Amino acid sequence: MECRDVRELADSFLGEELLTETNHEILRHLETCPACRADLASRRELRDRTRRAFQSARNLDPSPEFVTQLRTRLQDTAHQGPARRGFRIQGWWALAATVLLAVTLGLAYRGRDWIAATSALARAAVGDHRNCALQFRLAEKPISLDEAAQRYGAAYRVLESLPPDDVVTAVGPAHVLERHACVYGGRRFAHIVFDYRGARVSLLVTAIEGGVQLALPGEALPHVTSAGRIDEMSVVSFRTSRQMVFFAGDVPQADLMKLADAVAEPLYRGLAGV
Amino acid sequence: MALQSAPAGDHAWAAFEAEALPHLDRLFRLAMWFERNRPEAEDLVQETMMQALQSFHRFQPGTNCRAWLTTILQHVRSNRRRARGRSPLVDDPDDRIGQATPFVPPVPQQLTDEDLLGALARIPARFQEVIVLCDVEELTYKEIADALAIPLGTVMSRLHRGRALLRAELGASTGAFSGRRAGA
Repeated sequence: MECRDVRELADSFLGEELLTETNHEILRHLETCPACRADLASRRELRDRTRRAFQSARNLDPSPEFVTQLRTRLQDTAHQGPARRGFRIQGWWALAATVLLAVTLGLAYRGRDWIAATSALARAAVGDHRNCALQFRLAEKPISLDEAAQRYGAAYRVLESLPPDDVVTAVGPAHVLERHACVYGGRRFAHIVFDYRGARVSLLVTAIEGGVQLALPGEALPHVTSAGRIDEMSVVSFRTSRQMVFFAGDVPQADLMKLADAVAEPLYRGLAGV
Repeated sequence: MALQSAPAGDHAWAAFEAEALPHLDRLFRLAMWFERNRPEAEDLVQETMMQALQSFHRFQPGTNCRAWLTTILQHVRSNRRRARGRSPLVDDPDDRIGQATPFVPPVPQQLTDEDLLGALARIPARFQEVIVLCDVEELTYKEIADALAIPLGTVMSRLHRGRALLRAELGASTGAFSGRRAGA
């Protein structure tokens, strides 16, 4: 990685928005580049000073009278009854969110922006794992992979049988508890939940939209990479020509990598071209 | 995995009070920074909080409530601008992230908070927005993109260019500041 690359990624690095591998590349560069270290230190200082200056600006504070009046009004409104409008427009919100995310990601996959886009996808995958596999509180009811295959494409069909229900890894067995398609944050995932190493672990597959495929020249095998810890979950990912595949769970990163290694190759081949 | 129903009455208020109300002060400070006008900021925050209350059944516990409120605030703000016949903030004519500047100089130590906020206020609003949401509100890029309804790449490029502009302003104000000091 060159100084120019580090400068371009510096803000994302400080914002912890990069994948672990990219972070490591930057850290390796910083070990031998005092100029980039100084540059990053200066950027960090500006961020910190901006935050402190903003927080200490008393002229931005609300008046106590305003806070009291608003609180009273909100409380009165809450006791007048539930909002009914929400359910009518919920579908439109979901559609709008999907379109927004699709447009965002479609644009983001151009050029260097794919790093941030992949990072956003990883966060969405972790959000789905947490809200669907662990806490059962998705806004939209999951559907079967069969139904998803009929509606959204053949990739869901592949995931009805891949990976198999029982997987042997180097550190122990993994057993499929559930397979379905669900939506989180406006994004649809094929979701396979494993019982693995005493925890629930999710395999999440989502399409890369926008008609922009990531080039995979001559790659016969998937390149499985660790995305580090996101929201207290280990995350591992690889990509196919049309999908991003994530593994997420509260297990050691090395164990998650073993599971990914065990299923990645057949999955990669099965999803090729669909 | 059933649809969440809208909480009502006491339950709705208790949930809203616990999750959303603690963010009222920060939301107001954000509105005040954007509007530079206390009555307008109060209107904006009141409408935002009322909409948040009405839509609170859609908020997912465990996610970032401040980011959710900020998104509503930006929607309300955008709608109000349209209603007044003012054009929304335009996109960057050039959103390339690769507009790298040379190595940036260190932040001048003699700058006061007022100097820094003054410099921030002088750069174009679209750059202020992302800098404040990122550096002050500590939202993720995705949360900023959702709040402002812009692509992730645009968030990144605006941050990059906005910080470069902020540094240029700080350099200018340092010069002026030093000049004032020297001449004093």
